[in-house]
Amino acid sequence: MSTTEYASAVAAVKTMESSLLTRSDIEQFINAPTLSELRMLLDSRTGGETLEDVWKMLSGYAPDCAELKILLYRNDFHNLKAVLKAMLSGRDPSNYYIRPSNVSLETIKEAYASKSADSLPVYMRAAAEEAYEIATRTLDGQLSDSLIDSAALTAMQQSADETGNDFIIKYAQLTTVCADIKTAYRCSVMHKSNQFMETAVCGSRELDKASLIRAALAGTESLFSFLNNTPYAEAAELLKNTPAQFEKWFDDVITEHAESARMQAFGAEPLMAYYIAKEAEIKNIRIISICRESGTDRDTITERMRKLYV
Amino acid sequence: MNSLGLALAIIGAACASLFAGIGSAKGVGLVGEAAAGVVSVDPNKFSKVLLLQLLPGTQGLYGLLTAILMLSRIGIIGGSAADLSTAQGLMFLGASLPIAIVGLFSGIAQGRAAAAGIGIVAKKPDHTIKGIIMAAMVETYAILALLVSILLIYNISI
Repeated sequence: MSTTEYASAVAAVKTMESSLLTRSDIEQFINAPTLSELRMLLDSRTGGETLEDVWKMLSGYAPDCAELKILLYRNDFHNLKAVLKAMLSGRDPSNYYIRPSNVSLETIKEAYASKSADSLPVYMRAAAEEAYEIATRTLDGQLSDSLIDSAALTAMQQSADETGNDFIIKYAQLTTVCADIKTAYRCSVMHKSNQFMETAVCGSRELDKASLIRAALAGTESLFSFLNNTPYAEAAELLKNTPAQFEKWFDDVITEHAESARMQAFGAEPLMAYYIAKEAEIKNIRIISICRESGTDRDTITERMRKLYV
Repeated sequence: MNSLGLALAIIGAACASLFAGIGSAKGVGLVGEAAAGVVSVDPNKFSKVLLLQLLPGTQGLYGLLTAILMLSRIGIIGGSAADLSTAQGLMFLGASLPIAIVGLFSGIAQGRAAAAGIGIVAKKPDHTIKGIIMAAMVETYAILALLVSILLIYNISI
């Protein structure tokens, strides 16, 4: 690697890595005697930091780092879905808008209001137009949602390939594979048609789209036996148990992938890895808070904890 | 008086300070960027990162030293420029090349190593010395090049 890009941002991020939550912090949160003590602990340890704060910080240190944007593609497309649905049902889209995002709520609203996708980034335009067409013509909200989800993965893979960065390409591939497995499983359970699956499943170099759809069309057993012959047999086994275990597996795989960037002194990879680490950290905090509020036992909470970066 | 010989020797002195200086500037700049990143989060680490930032600066000093020795040897410093033949001028130019070339590349390489060492200061400040040692290893080659340049400058007969 000959690049020395983002030396300042990477050094800052490495300094901040030492304040990421550790296993003992998580145990302390899980074992907090009362909810109010848990809230106090969380406040003192994390200061209520959100992913938007993390994003602002990273963008401040590396404003010209275009590679980072790929991390927000799924939020962008989620927002596209949310605005489309909200506008068609006459609700306020701001309640469903996720931050951080590369595209503002106003830009998406304006694109749909003016029926022109030109103001959207190139990677979103075709999906925005097609989803609108499906949603208004066929009124099939599920199909338009699936189209947008699949388009997010396609955009992520394309942008990752354009960077030529192995770390980013692998990230996009992993994300696509996991989303595709989940989609194929759901479609199989709901006995969706081949046509629906063609729209909903994205496909990747790691997992062939046609084979996955063929297996899903033949039923869940056929899907699992197909997945057992791929590198994702472990994931299939977890999905068979509960989707929650599969979700955890996916988050852990992404964190493990992020760890591969830990030793790098330059480049976008350590910045992306830090964002991924923060994503896992914030997800853990959310799980602990929700589980403690609902009275879930401590062992179950511990089982649900995502792998930590540190 | 053969002015071409003298001109070649002066170009040699200029190369020594120019390329080694560029190497140092690039190296120090890179470490400075990384150091600023750390200090922006934890200002208490300023003294530790400063040590690492200084390391790639030595190549520029070696280039300057070589240039001064060469200018002194050919009489530019002192006011009475020597009457150098073209061959002698080329010899002085050649004598400047070790520190000019090695200074350029080792300055950049040392900058990279020291900037990576900044990561140690950031995450494990107690192990800063290891980062300094690793970056300092690059220095060896700049010192060897300086030695060769000095030996050559003093052994060219005028």
